[in-house]
Amino acid sequence: MPKAKNLQKVVILGSGPIVIGQACEFDYSGTQACKALMKEGLEVILINSNPATIMTDPELATRIYIEPLTVAFVEKVLEMERPDALIPTLGGQTALNLALELDQQGVLSRLNIEMLGARPETIRAAEDRERFREILNSVGARAPYSEMVRSFEQGLELAERMGLPLILRPNYTLGGGGGGVAYSREEFEHKLVQALRESPTHEVLVEESILGWKEFELEVMRDRAGTFVTICSIENIDPCGVHTGDSITVAPQQTLSDLQYQEMRSEAKKIIEAVGVETGGANVQFAVNPKTGERVVIEMNPRVSRSSALASKATGFPIAKIAALLAIGYELEEIRNDITGTTPCCYEPALDYVVTKIPRFAFEKFAGAKDLLSTQMKSVGEVMGIGRSFQESLQKAILSLEVDERGFSPVEFNESLLAFPNSQRIFHLGEAFRQGWSVDQVQEKTQIDFWFLEQIKGLMDFEQELSQAQELTLDLLLNAKRKGFSDSAIAELRGVGFLEVRASRRRWGIEPHFSQVDTCAGEFASSTPYFYSTYWGSAQKREADPKTVALLGSGPNRIGQGIEFDYSCVRSVRQFQKSGYRVAMINSNPETVSTDYDTSDELFFEPLTREHVAEVLHYLKPMGFVAQLGGQTPIHLASDLIEAGFNLLGSSLEAMDLAEDRGKFSEVCRELGFQIPLSDMATSLTQALSIAKSIGYPLICRPSYVLGGRRMEIVESEEELESYFGRHGNFISTKNPCLMDQFLDRALEVDVDLVRGPNWSVVGGVIEHIEAAGVHSGDSMGVLPPQRLKLEVGRKIESLSRQLGDRLGILGFLNLQLAVRDDEVFILEANPRSSRSVPFIAKATGVPLVDLGVKAILGWDREQVRPERFDWREMDKVCVKGVVFPFKKFAEADSILGPEMKSTGESMGRGEDYAEALQKAFLSSHLSLPASGEVFMSLREKDKAELLPLAVELVEMGYTLSGTLGTAQFLESHGLSCETVKKVHEGRPHCVDRIRSGQVAFVINTTSGRTSIEASFGIRRSCVDYAVPCITESGAAQAFLVALKRQRSGHAVVSPLSPPLSSD
Amino acid sequence: MNQGPAYLVLDSGECFPGLWHGGQERAGEVVFNTSHSGYEEMATDPSYFQQILVATAPMQGNYGADPSVWESRQLWISGFVCLILQESERECAWQERLNKFGVATMSQLDTRALTLLLREKGTCWGAMVSCEDPKEALSRGHKLIEQAQQGAKDWVYAVSRSEVEDIEGDLPQGPRVAVLDFGCKENSLRELKARCSVLRVFPCRTPAESILAWNPDGVFLSNGPGDPEKVESVAETVAELLGRKFIFGICMGHQILARALGGKTYKLKFGHRGSNHPIKDLLLNQVYVTSQNHGYAVVEDSLPDSVQVTHRNLNDDSVAGIYSQHMNCLGVQFHPESHPGPRDADVLFDFFVKQLK
Repeated sequence: MPKAKNLQKVVILGSGPIVIGQACEFDYSGTQACKALMKEGLEVILINSNPATIMTDPELATRIYIEPLTVAFVEKVLEMERPDALIPTLGGQTALNLALELDQQGVLSRLNIEMLGARPETIRAAEDRERFREILNSVGARAPYSEMVRSFEQGLELAERMGLPLILRPNYTLGGGGGGVAYSREEFEHKLVQALRESPTHEVLVEESILGWKEFELEVMRDRAGTFVTICSIENIDPCGVHTGDSITVAPQQTLSDLQYQEMRSEAKKIIEAVGVETGGANVQFAVNPKTGERVVIEMNPRVSRSSALASKATGFPIAKIAALLAIGYELEEIRNDITGTTPCCYEPALDYVVTKIPRFAFEKFAGAKDLLSTQMKSVGEVMGIGRSFQESLQKAILSLEVDERGFSPVEFNESLLAFPNSQRIFHLGEAFRQGWSVDQVQEKTQIDFWFLEQIKGLMDFEQELSQAQELTLDLLLNAKRKGFSDSAIAELRGVGFLEVRASRRRWGIEPHFSQVDTCAGEFASSTPYFYSTYWGSAQKREADPKTVALLGSGPNRIGQGIEFDYSCVRSVRQFQKSGYRVAMINSNPETVSTDYDTSDELFFEPLTREHVAEVLHYLKPMGFVAQLGGQTPIHLASDLIEAGFNLLGSSLEAMDLAEDRGKFSEVCRELGFQIPLSDMATSLTQALSIAKSIGYPLICRPSYVLGGRRMEIVESEEELESYFGRHGNFISTKNPCLMDQFLDRALEVDVDLVRGPNWSVVGGVIEHIEAAGVHSGDSMGVLPPQRLKLEVGRKIESLSRQLGDRLGILGFLNLQLAVRDDEVFILEANPRSSRSVPFIAKATGVPLVDLGVKAILGWDREQVRPERFDWREMDKVCVKGVVFPFKKFAEADSILGPEMKSTGESMGRGEDYAEALQKAFLSSHLSLPASGEVFMSLREKDKAELLPLAVELVEMGYTLSGTLGTAQFLESHGLSCETVKKVHEGRPHCVDRIRSGQVAFVINTTSGRTSIEASFGIRRSCVDYAVPCITESGAAQAFLVALKRQRSGHAVVSPLSPPLSSD
Repeated sequence: MNQGPAYLVLDSGECFPGLWHGGQERAGEVVFNTSHSGYEEMATDPSYFQQILVATAPMQGNYGADPSVWESRQLWISGFVCLILQESERECAWQERLNKFGVATMSQLDTRALTLLLREKGTCWGAMVSCEDPKEALSRGHKLIEQAQQGAKDWVYAVSRSEVEDIEGDLPQGPRVAVLDFGCKENSLRELKARCSVLRVFPCRTPAESILAWNPDGVFLSNGPGDPEKVESVAETVAELLGRKFIFGICMGHQILARALGGKTYKLKFGHRGSNHPIKDLLLNQVYVTSQNHGYAVVEDSLPDSVQVTHRNLNDDSVAGIYSQHMNCLGVQFHPESHPGPRDADVLFDFFVKQLK
């Protein structure tokens, strides 16, 4: 049956801001689905609160609503649009839960909207663990023994009966939030409390431990005729006990016999039928006892997922797109396989290669967080390596992490890092074998399947052979490359230079073969240009193509470099194509839209290392490569690629260097007469103390070589400076001095993104930060247009930005961070590339910033571009960028904001005025806006006076106040009634007890200085744990008040994005 | 075991280098199978007689060997070719079995390039030769190919049992089924056993009257190797049985059935071998993914009007199954007994048994 006839308008729900466990893979699925449904001639209405997504780009749907994904707002959209149906299966758990709520509250039935892809009963059957277990029983499958616990006491009793270790899984949470493995009684009690709280239904499944069992996942699809296909089998290298999102995984599965695999497949088929998945994609997770072969079902998801995105990239089968088509009535046999172009979609992809996925973590960003993996997901991104052999694929994946271009780099071996799963375990596995451990010994410690361990040991054995051989022969080098060793690794093992290894390869003709991902292991001809490199085939020759542009992506998502850069990459493709170029995309991140095979003209799924990118360029011989769209990753590769003879498009290396090198940049600013904060470098405390005298406190200190703001602190006094050196002195030396910058206390920060061509420039917008200087720009909320910045200062900033662009010689993007204090403008930083704020600006203002950036890179001149058409100030709405943090996942981390970025995602609130935009941004960032209750305040001295009016307003609005002694006394002395609550060290019951007991509606806690920060940690932590909003900065507190007022005034208002300005 | 340089030589002159893992130098038809797992089931399937099996899945031998899943008592393939062959001290059972049965074995061969070549040029003959010099390999290989091609053409006869075998079924009230062995996979017998009271497996050239004398409720025609046109006398036997007992044929059995009905068969360019082929079943009205292994197919136009094409391979629309109510028979080109591959089509065994009541 083709498309259902009565279907004309469909709503797709997105997944909102990027959080751990729900990242840009849902942008990928949603984008695919939108494209497919638009092509079917449907009206597609998209609702998502995340402006950094490709799916919210104007061309992708008929109308796009960037609105909070809550019942109140979505209901408004549905009322306005009156769609025929809603697809809830493409936006992760967020969309699924939201759809369930809409159903429960009767919104869907009232508006006569059909749910496609999954019915509410189906979602509940899969999500409700007890019902799911009944279903498993009915088809002869087994779940790990478990019982649902609804109270603390019941949990303790169960633990007595079952014995430890036990696994806790809160009902209805995403990414296993609040769950975990408990080994000891104490740990069990602690986790039980948290898990009960996490579950919206206060239910926790306490489960028999299957730790050490092998874990598998099947990605399956079904259509309404009952046709069932398995798209991909995935095997976890990490045995059960580690969340599958945090596991290193391999596709297809490698260690099950066909008998075992087919039993699993048949079981998956029965399960999804019994659960009632009528159409679409789903996944089923299994555990297999390695000794007995016994099998249990861990869980199933009746929707596309992170794994289905991975499966799509691993196989070439576009699960989300097909799921969307199935949802509107097609059957699998009616849909053609895009990749072969001839065969239908009701088949199972055959792979003649191996795919390895490795998660990327960010523990270093969260001081205090334990690097220990469990059933709660903690990784922030992932990479995928494709190779013909497992070894080649594993090593390519490790290289894709962009941690060390030697791949399996040596580490200081630590047995406990082998035994307990952690982000570094793969390196310790390698090291164990280097140190002579046997496979049996490592297996005993890790329970990782022998097969995988042997493969890793094989690599380490070969490493030794390689380093000990008399000379590097052709055979040896070829073997090394076939096992996935990078030129850098080989160079180090042989004690030669990187370029020498490359030269030997070229001399002997050892060059990669670019093999096609064709879904069918070569059985059918395929013209889909999706490639990976392998040394298991002979090198191909290709004519130089002056019309091809190679585009370097941004690699794995990490904090600070995520979906926003993928947006720039993907968005740029169309403009390059419009300008007559073919685009070859190079990237290693399976979650993204950029690695969809139909995003660019050619896709090379490769590690972003100087070697792998150079090999692609060597093969492609393109006109040039673009390094300014994928964040910092490609920028780092640019100089090596230029040295290798390739042509950098856009801003020259010199221009980028001028912007990035602090010394040179300060010089430029001085020359142009622009102010920059005072700064100096110290190699010792004595020197630092004297520098501090001349610059003055407060200061920002950081060791010079660290990236991403690590060990960066604001230092307010001599005492703190001494403490800073005491704690970080190890990282400071003559070679790596400490950078000391004047800290512009209370300054207003702004971000500017501009695009500059040879004789023109366009400012995309000036984003005003809501928090004052001191919070990383990625972590601060922002507003467009500015609300506090004076117009003439704004104009001045624009003109100064343009002048800088001219002086630096930028061709393409330039991002600037500036601070304004007493109308004086300071330039803090320049990034000669597209930035995190580009998608937000583009969506808020309608200025097609990326399209313009491409024209700039291609050297278009003023007459062609007509830049005067683009004035961001003509924007018709106020837009606020909200921020989302992962503190919940890191139990020991502090949620205080500072110069080091910690957020994973952003949201956008659009409104007629600042208040409405703020309200939506807070809601979209998962902060509740309590209408009444107690506000607990603990303010640092300098904020007290500033926040007094706020406290007054809160009281006028009917909130009650409580506070720590100093704050309470201050408020009382100004005539406000405020209950004094003890600080943690003052005895119980203290403020943390109060928050935990649920008495506090929200918290305002500003603090500075290391001691006070440590003392108030418990306040912030308890807020994170109990989902109580906690505002840690005065600017944010003012904004929160504005949003509260708006929320109390009632009604939700929604509006679609207006069509953007055309750049043609 | 002597590892060393080796070549897979094709009759068209191409020569693929790789690593020798033992066995006898042998020739055979070079075919590729795209299944991810199931190397044992494939290698022990008599339908692979005289064939060099190229596994497109790169990692082979990973999970060892387990004779309980074998499809016969021996390995039938002439050669086994893959990218990486498991050979660690802990686990090298698969390589040992290959060696034990003298199967020419090579790894580190660019199986994708070979597959693309077979896809473009069609199935061809090849030989696996263990030597350093490619020229020598070519000449030795071509000799091996010539010799192999001289052999008997009726491959079904070559692999069929020579003695009648009785197998007790699991269902005392179930039907009696006569199995005509063309190189029958064990799992077909297992599937039948689970649904029947007794099976009698007959050698392929058993005359019809001997089969009828046993008074079966139905007749099962098994899978088997080679060109159905070259199989002697069996189509005539089946023609005699037609209409008298319900007949169910799989793969070779299906092709022989079609010939008995007056139809013709032809050679596919490079065959269908894998665990992922979609079939549209008009008889049961469903689409399922099947296990396939065949180099020949039935010519649709050659079938009499009384026969319906009830199954189609959705990849190329070829005939994948025929049914005749009038003649009381069903034949399917694919393998509902799977092994390796998905089991979704095992409902056809139920269908068969239902017809016998």
